[in-house]
Amino acid sequence: MSKKTIEVVVNGRTHRAEVPARRMLSDFLRDDLFLTGTKRGCETGVCGCCSVLIDGEVIKSCLSLAVHADGHEVTTIEGLAVDGVLHPVQEAFVNHGGLQCGYCTPGFIMTTVAMLNDNPNPTEDEIRHGLNGNLCRCTGYVGIVESIKAAAEKLRGN
Amino acid sequence: MNKPEISNAFTTVGRETPQINAIEKVLGKAVYSADMKMAGMLHAKVLRSPHAHARIVGVHTEEARALPGVHAVLTGDDTPTRMTGIHHKQHRILAAGKVRFIGEEVVAVVAEDEETARDAIDLIRVDYEPLPEVFDTGEALRAGTIEVHDGSGNLACEYNVVRGDVDAAFAQAALVHEDSYETHSQYAGYMEPMATLAWRTSDGRLHILTSTQTAFLQRMRIADAVEMPVSKVRVIQATVGGGFGGKTAEECNSLICAWLATRVDRPVKFVNSRLDDFQGCRSSPPEKIWIKMGVDKDGIIIAKEVKIVADCGAYEGLAGHVLQVSTVRSDNMHRYLKNVRLNGKLAYTNNPPHGALRGFGGPQAAFALNSHIAVMAEKLGLDVVEMLKRNAIKSGDTSVHGFQIGSSGLSECLDQVSDGIGWDSKKTRPKDIGVKRRGIGFGTAIHVSGNREMGNWDGSTVIAKMAPDGRVTLMTGECDMGQGAFTMLAQCCAHELNIPLSQVTVLPTDTDMSPYGHGSIASRVTILAGNAAIKAAREVRERLLTLASEKLGVPKEDLDMANGEVFAKSPAPNQKIPFGDLARLHIYRAGGEALQVTATYDPPTFLAMATPEQYGNVAPGYSFAAQAAEVEVDTETGQVRVLETFVSDDCGKALNPLAVHGQTCGAAVMGIGWALYEQMRYEDGRLLNGNFADYTMPTADSVPYIQSGIVESMEPNGPYGAKGASETAIVPGAAAIANAVYDAIGVRIKTLPITPEKILAGLRAKQAAQDASGASR
Repeated sequence: MSKKTIEVVVNGRTHRAEVPARRMLSDFLRDDLFLTGTKRGCETGVCGCCSVLIDGEVIKSCLSLAVHADGHEVTTIEGLAVDGVLHPVQEAFVNHGGLQCGYCTPGFIMTTVAMLNDNPNPTEDEIRHGLNGNLCRCTGYVGIVESIKAAAEKLRGN
Repeated sequence: MNKPEISNAFTTVGRETPQINAIEKVLGKAVYSADMKMAGMLHAKVLRSPHAHARIVGVHTEEARALPGVHAVLTGDDTPTRMTGIHHKQHRILAAGKVRFIGEEVVAVVAEDEETARDAIDLIRVDYEPLPEVFDTGEALRAGTIEVHDGSGNLACEYNVVRGDVDAAFAQAALVHEDSYETHSQYAGYMEPMATLAWRTSDGRLHILTSTQTAFLQRMRIADAVEMPVSKVRVIQATVGGGFGGKTAEECNSLICAWLATRVDRPVKFVNSRLDDFQGCRSSPPEKIWIKMGVDKDGIIIAKEVKIVADCGAYEGLAGHVLQVSTVRSDNMHRYLKNVRLNGKLAYTNNPPHGALRGFGGPQAAFALNSHIAVMAEKLGLDVVEMLKRNAIKSGDTSVHGFQIGSSGLSECLDQVSDGIGWDSKKTRPKDIGVKRRGIGFGTAIHVSGNREMGNWDGSTVIAKMAPDGRVTLMTGECDMGQGAFTMLAQCCAHELNIPLSQVTVLPTDTDMSPYGHGSIASRVTILAGNAAIKAAREVRERLLTLASEKLGVPKEDLDMANGEVFAKSPAPNQKIPFGDLARLHIYRAGGEALQVTATYDPPTFLAMATPEQYGNVAPGYSFAAQAAEVEVDTETGQVRVLETFVSDDCGKALNPLAVHGQTCGAAVMGIGWALYEQMRYEDGRLLNGNFADYTMPTADSVPYIQSGIVESMEPNGPYGAKGASETAIVPGAAAIANAVYDAIGVRIKTLPITPEKILAGLRAKQAAQDASGASR
């Protein structure tokens, strides 16, 4: 198995690592960097539990090879809170019923962060459309939509 | 339970309360089974049967064993000969001799890493001698068909219940209607695939960290299967990424992993791939339901006959219990129904095994029943909501099967939903005649809160410990699978002691330390563990007050507590003492001990299942729900879209409205998924869609904003009046949608799921019938 040395900035910290060419980014994050907040739910890019940001864009880390992250900046769920203060999206998910079992939550939060960066004032339809790459079995999406509306409002400074 | 007069400024009961572990979940810090690592940990994978029924004639593992990094390759012949299962012990830990369904676990590999384990699986060759197969329940039950289990006649179990004089009641009925309905299988679809980490310690004990709803049932099953004393097996509950019935004691990931850890010298982790999870799961049993119902001229249901044939799949598991629920439970919604004749048969087939899933047989029965009632209401010229209300069981009633209904908000649910969705105006508006046509329909539901069915104990025990810093730790044998059970327990405790929620910690279930509990099944935790938590907290309160009274020299009745302190109420305002001081005082005195209380609540219910009559009050409370759905049917494509839905849940009292709405919305969407989108598609026993691209669960975009209403009927047996609130709302949805489709286009879909193909076929048949009647005129 061929290996490659990569240099990736994860949550602001530079990691240099030698990884097998076939190593998935999700495995690299979870097993090599111990960032287990990124979940694996389907390994086929459908459920969105493994969503992370690369250079601010949301991607499915179970479909990306770790070597593809070489030279890029990755943000995971562990990288959102600053000095123990929750990111507004995290806070909104806590307070508005955005989570139950919590397994899909990191993926939804990362998707939301990217969504609100692109569109700070989404309509409900835009929110729901933006969540099409993530599955949740617990909430029926109502709490998630409410959380995103609340987070958007807070991020807009209202 | 009666509520004593206490001050509770810090209470969260009845208030929207985030889960006590919500912050660790949004930080990505909650630890699920697959997140755990141990030094020296090995990884397991299994090879599954490609045959639905075959004799295993040879297993060739030499090449796999020779692969560097492989520690063990084990087959059914290596497993204990003892059979495992729920009631019927029917299979070994890995298949031995025979396989009975596609996906059955045949060989397990343990290796240094997952990739090596996967590579080793590819090197194993198994020789099978295919046997005749049976997939259809009707065929399975016919004499002369091959048997999935020798001597069974493929009949796993059968229920017969007769009450009153059903033939006489049919003779008196103003209208009798009979019809047949079919339901399909639903996958639990929790986002966290099953995962387990198991290891042995030097004392020979086996430790299992797993994703489970029922840690103690798991311990019992695993100990039995691996032939170890129960006391030598420890099951620890990790954070659970959803259960929905699928993580009880039927799935085999945990069992196989636990056994593998007894066969190698290092810890073993087994994480299901999603395909593993689809193939190894127990999905809900498909049922064929025939109903004959008699009503009087006012729409009062007076007679009911039901025959159900359910597909068990290859092994029984909990499917027998599920069928019992489908057969019996929905009768208890109707207060005047006294004459019933019920028959339920569960057939073995070579389909993958079916078992527990949220609603536990309720959704199947409710689909048939509510469809049937809608037909009869139309025939009688009655508004269906009016008919449902006339029949709705009330608080204080005893139902046909002996359920004592302490609280019923079914009528109120019907009113709330009717108002919420605008039933009257939508029902009377002119029918759409274009390509897209709207329609509206109703469904109703009953569910238990607890169910006495195991060893005549349906109790729950909570241990409350006060640390020397005055904080409280609760221990329970029930499990939080994401529904918020631990938050509910903390709320009950904080309420009784008048302390902030943050002062209460609830420990995940660990069978070495937690009190025994059946676990999180049958919507039992709120009513049973909630009462136990209240009882435990009240005893803690009593002990604190007694000690404080001694210490402060103030009579107990002059003391109260708030924010972690006991204080004297009026005469001496400065007299107060912190909980921490009292907790220390409780220990450090002659004859003292740490402040720890064990309290058990076992409800006043009856083990009806153990009697031939199966009559009696099985649960301390019954939850009810009603749901209306407005759909839009595209008559060109056959697509059905739910435009709006309103569901009301009578949960007695919403201890945490945030959690109740969350559960209700989640259950309603799971119901929509079952009705419209989700189906385990099999071809000769082979699952064709074992992934989330092809097994299509609802996305945010595919469902409307679920409107959820709460009805508080105040259950006398409930903690502060509460009953279960996690399953009821999955029950009524499919019927509401089917009834709405009928209202929209005049096509009644009696076989779930409601697919575009069935809609278009129904429209064609309707058109053909119209053309024929036009031609004959």
